[in-house]
Amino acid sequence: MRRLEYVIRRLAMAVLVLVSVSIITFFIARVVPSDPAAAWVGPHPTKEQIALATDRLGLDRPLYEQYLRYMRGLLRGDLGHSIKTHQPITTDLKTFLPATMELVLAGMVMAVVIGIPFGVLSGARKGSLLDHFTRLFSIAGVSMPTFWLGLLLQLFFFGRLGLLPLAGRVSTQVALYHRVEQITGFYLIDTAITGNWVAFKDVLIHIILPAFTLATYAIGLIIRMTRSTMIEVLGEKYILASRVAGISERVVLFVLALKNAIIPTITVLGLSFVYSLTGAILVEVIFAWPGLGSYVTNAVLSIDFPVIVSVTLVVTVFYVFINLLLDLGQAMLDPRVTLQ
Amino acid sequence: MKKGTYWLHVAIGLLIVLSTTQCGTPAQPTATQAPTVKEEATATPEPTKAAPAEEGAPNVFVYGHGTTFPDIDPAVSFSNDSVVVSNCYETLAFYNPPGSAELLSPLLATSWEANDDATEWVFHIREGVTFHNGDPLNAEAVKGALDNTMELGAGAAYIWDPVEEIEVVDDYTVKFKLSYAAPLDLVASSGYGAWIYNPTVYKEKGTEWFNEGHCAGTGPYTIESRERGSRLIMTRNEDYWGGWREGQFDKVVFEVREDNVVLQQMIEAGAANFTYGVPPDNLAALDARDDIVVYTNPSFQNLVGLLNTQKPPLDNKLVRQALAYSVPYAQFIEGVMGTRATQAYGPVPAGMWGYSKDLFQYTYDLDKAKELLAEAGHPDGGFDLLYTFATGDMDEQQLGELWQAELAKLGINLEVQALNWEAQWDLAKSDPQSAQDVFVMYWWPDYVSPYSFLFSMFHSEDDILFNLGYYRNAEFDDLIDNANALSGSDRQKAEEMFVQAQEILIEDVASLFFYDVANTHLARSDIKGYVDNPAYPHVVFVYQLTRE
Repeated sequence: MRRLEYVIRRLAMAVLVLVSVSIITFFIARVVPSDPAAAWVGPHPTKEQIALATDRLGLDRPLYEQYLRYMRGLLRGDLGHSIKTHQPITTDLKTFLPATMELVLAGMVMAVVIGIPFGVLSGARKGSLLDHFTRLFSIAGVSMPTFWLGLLLQLFFFGRLGLLPLAGRVSTQVALYHRVEQITGFYLIDTAITGNWVAFKDVLIHIILPAFTLATYAIGLIIRMTRSTMIEVLGEKYILASRVAGISERVVLFVLALKNAIIPTITVLGLSFVYSLTGAILVEVIFAWPGLGSYVTNAVLSIDFPVIVSVTLVVTVFYVFINLLLDLGQAMLDPRVTLQ
Repeated sequence: MKKGTYWLHVAIGLLIVLSTTQCGTPAQPTATQAPTVKEEATATPEPTKAAPAEEGAPNVFVYGHGTTFPDIDPAVSFSNDSVVVSNCYETLAFYNPPGSAELLSPLLATSWEANDDATEWVFHIREGVTFHNGDPLNAEAVKGALDNTMELGAGAAYIWDPVEEIEVVDDYTVKFKLSYAAPLDLVASSGYGAWIYNPTVYKEKGTEWFNEGHCAGTGPYTIESRERGSRLIMTRNEDYWGGWREGQFDKVVFEVREDNVVLQQMIEAGAANFTYGVPPDNLAALDARDDIVVYTNPSFQNLVGLLNTQKPPLDNKLVRQALAYSVPYAQFIEGVMGTRATQAYGPVPAGMWGYSKDLFQYTYDLDKAKELLAEAGHPDGGFDLLYTFATGDMDEQQLGELWQAELAKLGINLEVQALNWEAQWDLAKSDPQSAQDVFVMYWWPDYVSPYSFLFSMFHSEDDILFNLGYYRNAEFDDLIDNANALSGSDRQKAEEMFVQAQEILIEDVASLFFYDVANTHLARSDIKGYVDNPAYPHVVFVYQLTRE
């Protein structure tokens, strides 16, 4: 019951956050000097076309009315139309959001698979060469600009080795002859469901470089967090007792110690996931990944305010709900945490 | 091996890999072909290099494109998406590349004629042409498509503004009745707003259907699929009225890559057959390669600096003339632009009808500028000017900075301010007295006529739109309006009048005409038949190409 109350209270707060974000984003995007009506028409608009577009988009109405109109649409699930492409934003999001989610999730899987074992081993072998190397890698991962890392990886794995694709989500050949049938928008899932294994393999090798580029920040954070909590946990008496009892080192590290050390890491992982949603912008541009990042980049450059507001709201929703899930998850995993 | 030693080896190995990545020279990719693979291939395709051509395999042309295609609806499209649209749809007339014997060629119309004052135009429609769904192209379809475009009024539909009514004379003849004289043959050849599409399909399906990745034209290719933001695939229209010959491409793939370094890597590796927009500094190295051909041709785009003719001190013609002598044109073009630009002769770009090399061209001459300033009552300069340009355009920025240094020698302080295009335009449309002094922008025509440049940027306007130097000259207005009216019936006379109008602008220095932009396109050397046509910017008419 207490948990339910907590969830309801947090959800109410989430609505407040979303409304505040929508107000701030909408008004900032609209007070920036721009002429959405002219942008709607095209590069050489006439006065008549601008007047028509102004009327059609309701841009001659007071700003608060425009906002209320936008919010009314939002409640009906209508996010409006892009000023630049004239397409319904809801349709655009259905296309671009799964691509970003797939990339971010792949990045998170990489972060967990690489970050946690290295963090555990680094903590367990404090001061060893492995520890030094892992710390160096984690610092580099956190501080290296993604656009630079992405270009280096492209140069090496595409330009020099020819091992991995340069960019894109699937190769031209697969697009031509083994087209991905879109069901969920997650190509790895769609190709697996339809048994299109040629495309599956192609999608998989396309996602490696952008996902790794995106994951480096999270890997760095996870390694550092796991390492420090492991060092703390490994000093506990129950670990000493386990070792004395002859339990294998692997079980001690990856089961007994990690179980307690993992909780802060989960928080970091959740926040990294949301961070990656925005971090994907640069990665998507470099790797020509047709996701939310590329979409919002173009929107920002052309002050396409309905898109800017909509994408901001989508990212905010993720932020709010993942935070909520993390808090609930922590409370479930760690009895010392109470929901208030 | 001890654990510590093992990890030392791993670390050293990784360091070597990393240092190789950063310092090594990338190997020259060996692939020379775009993807040409068997349709029924079952093995996983090579991820990076295109497969070699195989006998019987489809011939695929890959265009690496730096921007997405915002709107591929033929009635609305008014942007870079013309590179797609132009392979799918056709116009009534075709504007020939510079240097051709004739300005226009027949396309969906086999011929056309106008009455004496160019207020009525009759177009004879090509027989035996069908739309992609098999519907015949006839006069009704032409009328339906253009009526629909005009009714929607979106994109470049305004080019049809003179048209009062379209009349179907018979199955293959349409008559356009105009409310004022206009060069409708040029309008009908425009790369924006003049596409003929199947009006029945348009009415039935609507704009979203087109943007999902469908086509309803008469062109040589039709859209097979579209992945928004990343790729568009076109396939042959087997029933194309022009027929097919050996070596032409079966499929066209547009790969969107917004990073220009990635575009370069694609063309180098042969993953794209054609591209443009690669980093200018790398063009010379690319040109030196045997497997890549760099095409540099004049575009119909120029860079102008509209001078605020309503605000002191630039309301004084002598001061404007002094500024025209202070720009280091040659130095900038040589040092920064290289082959990407040539100094302009007036507002009409090189290669376009109405362009004249006989027009006076200002050159860098600070002594002359000083004289003019002294004559205008500013012997030591002593005033500030605001130069606005679109954020992110490095050429405009470097030009401003270079010119700033020259103006400083005249005692003039030039503030070079980058603004988002919308903000730059917004400021210019406000009050001329508080607006910028020099508005820097590119201009390109909707349909190919000097009138597009002269009217849009210099014709008197009460509500400011693109006359962002606020120039007003009744004599000039009459001259270009009359020239435009004549450009349908007596193009030679019209051209003379347009040149005369440009002389007025140059004498008045209504603007600084910095340079005409040259387009640079890159193609793999096995692609034959490419001819750049600046009337259709960056468009590759793939039907004209073959692979050697």
